[in-house]
Amino acid sequence: MKESRLGWLARRGTLAVLGLVWLIPVYLLLVNAIKPTASYDTDKIWVPDKSFGLFTNLREAWTSVGLGESIASTALYSVTGPALAVVIGAMAGYAIVVLRLRAGFWWFLLLFGGTVFPTQMLLIPLFLGYSWADLYDRRFGLVLVYTAVSIPLAAFVMRNFFTGVAYEMFEAARVEGASTWHIFRKIYFPLALPALGAVFILEFAFIWNDLLFGLTLSQSDPVRPVMTALSALSSAYAGSSVPVLLAAGLVMSLPTVAVFLAAQRMFARGLALGQF
Amino acid sequence: MTATASTPAKGRKRSLGTGWSALGFISPAVLVVAALLYAPFLYTVFYSFTDYDGLTSPKWVALDNFKKFLDDPALTTSIRNTLFWVVGTTIVPVAIGLLIALLSFGIKGGTLLRLPFMLPYALSGAGLGVIWGFILQSDGAANDLLRFLHLPGADISFLQQAPYNTIAMIVAMTWQQSGVNALLFLVGLQSIPTPPLEAARIDGASGWRMFRHITWPLLAPLTTVVVGLSLVASLKTFDIVWVTTQGGPGRSSETLAVTMYRDAFVSSDYGYGSAVALVLTLVTGAVTIAYLRFQIRGQEKLR
Repeated sequence: MKESRLGWLARRGTLAVLGLVWLIPVYLLLVNAIKPTASYDTDKIWVPDKSFGLFTNLREAWTSVGLGESIASTALYSVTGPALAVVIGAMAGYAIVVLRLRAGFWWFLLLFGGTVFPTQMLLIPLFLGYSWADLYDRRFGLVLVYTAVSIPLAAFVMRNFFTGVAYEMFEAARVEGASTWHIFRKIYFPLALPALGAVFILEFAFIWNDLLFGLTLSQSDPVRPVMTALSALSSAYAGSSVPVLLAAGLVMSLPTVAVFLAAQRMFARGLALGQF
Repeated sequence: MTATASTPAKGRKRSLGTGWSALGFISPAVLVVAALLYAPFLYTVFYSFTDYDGLTSPKWVALDNFKKFLDDPALTTSIRNTLFWVVGTTIVPVAIGLLIALLSFGIKGGTLLRLPFMLPYALSGAGLGVIWGFILQSDGAANDLLRFLHLPGADISFLQQAPYNTIAMIVAMTWQQSGVNALLFLVGLQSIPTPPLEAARIDGASGWRMFRHITWPLLAPLTTVVVGLSLVASLKTFDIVWVTTQGGPGRSSETLAVTMYRDAFVSSDYGYGSAVALVLTLVTGAVTIAYLRFQIRGQEKLR
């Protein structure tokens, strides 16, 4: 395709200018998260400061809302939740497609239907039920809920994936006398790993960024996930300065930014196939 | 793809002795989903017809919670704001996303030029709220910028006055969402077969005419998806509002999701909160169905 010099320039120029506008908030975030609290001044928002205060800011965020423990807990949630969901979802896909579960399609609809209604429909009974069952403000309770919300997508992807695997493989293994569990563990699960990895990463980012479940089902510093801690830090500024808040926001965002940049394409596909 | 594999003859369906084992494999998923997604859903439906403070047992009040909607000013505001969110985030970020996709499609260095728009997408709603709460604060960066450019609005306290607070947060959401919409459109552009494009180009079509008559119709299915996703997400807007304004000042920037949260968990009015959640769900469902039907009819007309 031939393009005029002017067209070439216009396309790139527009994109570059728009891109610079888009980077303004990022610039402001970086400049002010790095500033020491003492040098922060609303009249000098746009100017970088000479001294480097990022680590001091982070230390303050660490002590005021226990960000360190929060990060550890969130890492636990966003790894174990999707890991469990991916295994459970793969088992469900295996049961429906490979083991030919009776009325399999309806079971599948039942599982996938779990994503249809808004989270708001779950919060009140979950909160009341968790309080009753002593799961409120417990790490196990959060792992459980994050696993549950991750299962439908995992089951969806796995059902599609196993449909494309030749059935003869199962028949052959069965004739050899292998148990269904053995076939799942040794053949189908390893085969599905790349697809499961994609689901895992999507769910990881989703859970890491979650605010609502954390807000509803936890309250203490060590248990509550990072976004909930960040929200607490920002509420009426919790007595913390703007640079401290921004520094915390910056660091909390790094894991998903890294994951996202590494897997841009996959995210687009994941988004198109089923929103959380 | 493998017809024999996916639809076997009925007779040999469970000849490999897997009936019970299949139930065993699916049961963990079904149990977890039933206990943590379906049961709460049903309970919320039940609570919405009750008066319930979480301490005494729920009292059946039939439709009273829904009747209360009519004279709840907070709810009226919240519905209006939610509408703002729906209109704002289904139009602007989708249009900008499409623009970015068209401009950057097929050019060398496109990925790099798109990067600034992609970065914000990785941020969480809470992170977004933190950054934009800072930018939009009274006499903050947003005001500075407007003053510098001699644009109106330099003296507005964006987060303190309705409806500016909602509009300002929609701008923040636009900043975040445009990139991912561009990415989705880009996937769509890549899937457009070359022959119609080539044919049109040979016929001398270019620029706007090319877009209007060739690219846009071919992108239609994807536009449906992008707008549909934004629509559903916008109805459920919570995180950014909660972190930026907590729905305030007063209750002026609440969305339905925020109103639900506040009524349930700040006022401990679980019955009313459930009713708001149910209405939110019904509205989301109705809008989605209406939208899909509208789209399907539109596409049939094109044929």
